[in-house]
Amino acid sequence: MSELTLLLLKLGFLLLLWAFVFAIVYALRSDLFGERVRRMPAPQSASGEQAPYTAAPAADPAPRPVAAASSPGAAAGTARRVVITSGAKAGVELDLDDQPLTIGRSSDSGLVIRDDYTSTHHARLMLWGDEWVIQDLDSTNGTFLDGKRVTAPTPVPLGATVKIGTTSFELRR
Amino acid sequence: MTSELTSAPETASIRVRLRQPARLRNLELVLVVIACAVGGGALVLTQLGALGQTDPGVLMLAGVLAVLVLAMHVSLRLTAPQADPFILPVVTLLNGLGIAAIYRIDLADGDSGWDAAGVRQIAWSSIAILAAIVVIVVIRNHRVLQRYRFVSMFAGIVLLILPMLPIIGHEVYGAQIWIRVGTFTFQPGELAKIALAIFFAAYLVESRDSLSMVGTKFLGIRFPRARDLGPILVIWAAAMAVLIFQRDLGTSLLYFGLFLIMIYVATGRVSWVLMGLGLFIGGAVIAGQVLGYVAGRFRGWLDPFNPEVYDAVGGSWQLVQGLFGMANGGLLGTGLGQGRPDLVPLAQSDFIIASLTEELGLAGLFAILALYLLFISRGFRIGFSGQDDFGRLLGVGLSFVVALQVFIVVGGVTRIIPLTGLTAPFLAAGGSSLVANWMIAAILLRLSDTIRNQPRLVV
Repeated sequence: MSELTLLLLKLGFLLLLWAFVFAIVYALRSDLFGERVRRMPAPQSASGEQAPYTAAPAADPAPRPVAAASSPGAAAGTARRVVITSGAKAGVELDLDDQPLTIGRSSDSGLVIRDDYTSTHHARLMLWGDEWVIQDLDSTNGTFLDGKRVTAPTPVPLGATVKIGTTSFELRR
Repeated sequence: MTSELTSAPETASIRVRLRQPARLRNLELVLVVIACAVGGGALVLTQLGALGQTDPGVLMLAGVLAVLVLAMHVSLRLTAPQADPFILPVVTLLNGLGIAAIYRIDLADGDSGWDAAGVRQIAWSSIAILAAIVVIVVIRNHRVLQRYRFVSMFAGIVLLILPMLPIIGHEVYGAQIWIRVGTFTFQPGELAKIALAIFFAAYLVESRDSLSMVGTKFLGIRFPRARDLGPILVIWAAAMAVLIFQRDLGTSLLYFGLFLIMIYVATGRVSWVLMGLGLFIGGAVIAGQVLGYVAGRFRGWLDPFNPEVYDAVGGSWQLVQGLFGMANGGLLGTGLGQGRPDLVPLAQSDFIIASLTEELGLAGLFAILALYLLFISRGFRIGFSGQDDFGRLLGVGLSFVVALQVFIVVGGVTRIIPLTGLTAPFLAAGGSSLVANWMIAAILLRLSDTIRNQPRLVV
């Protein structure tokens, strides 16, 4: 083994080591900034980059499905589903198990809401006993339960409307 | 991925399960293969540099490890498909670099076969990887651990006490932290940190409200009530007992730091940290006055080049040899196998950072630190994105314990803080440390899998 070969091998090894580090950092970048969170096929106007996020606030109808809340059978028992009732994804639903559901703009959240009014870690739904409770995580624009701003963890009755940003949802069995 | 979530959750959840895992696990496979190649490359370079030729025997043994790492990858594919894809490659590479550095010392000392620390390290690594596979396969949900909080508390305390028992307790270089059964030695304190992290997480989930809300304000800081102070005093006493009876400064700092950071994360109160640091510094200062070995460490740290300290028994000779070695390495190092890291005592365990720095240089040391940083940041991120408090605390606690250990080791060797005898996680020779750290990696992988399995919907 000549001196020169060893020198080149040494430099090559250091480069390889750093290449590995940067490969991970590069892969992390895509892991941190999305890919896992893909955008919807744009609901209405799919023109600009921001369109899907900002288009929603235009239509802010009174929560329609309040009627559904009073439907028979919604009286007692623990909620098993979250149903989006207004906003970009009205009608979509999400199953709940007994684990907390975090809501926010960050892609770590269980329910990711990406509009301009949602904080990174906005609120969370927790099961206390057999009752779901919503807790606001110091969000900028607040979490509203039936129109009232949530300040302390508050139980969410079945069918009550929870509003975060331009999205409303309710709990159903 | 969740964009396809429709009002038919059954199909949606199946789709989620099918789409994500392949991407994460394929990424992991690519990185693991690269990590094994880099680790193997380090071994080959060591042989070329030190012997001028390659020796297939050790490479074959290392190949067995690569197969085991791939087995771990497969078990992740089967039981934790959503787990973080970066932890396993980073840990594999650190372990491989460690084996190369230990093997280097064996070559210099002329050890071979079972006498060679490198061969033993490979054997321990395979045990550690198998332990990690068992953790991944057996613990399907980390919340199960919360149920065993008192079991883990007792396990932690027993593991701490074991080395002080008369027959199996074993003293090495003055520190009574080993147990020995036959020729087999083990450092139970390494496993105790996992048990204690589980106990702290479970305990703090329950009691953090009373710890953070109640208390009297003094100087703008809310101090907790006396009865809430109980646990912190118990842990302080335990850390001081380790310091005094087992003569191990690093371990006691590690346990105490673990508890402080977890209580800080759980309650968000700076007062706990201030109080804890005050207690520890007070205890350490008193220990420095009373216990000779602590005072010696301080002298060796502050004035290592003083000939009196340098030549003293238990003085700064070892530390200074390490510093000379690192200075010899310079920016790019002497090249693997071409330095003289064997001149430093304990170059394969406590001073492995100095050995690696001598041969890989500052550039290599920073790469190693970057690998640790990646591992720890993934751990914190797992803790941060966790959905349940127990998982969050456990993730933060376990990654912090690795971070603190790296700081104590690297800081001690580079003379930032007084030298303490801790092992560099995943790198240093020592079976107990390897097993414990691989188990920590496995628990973090399990946590990250549970986190990403949460129902996800993007609006």
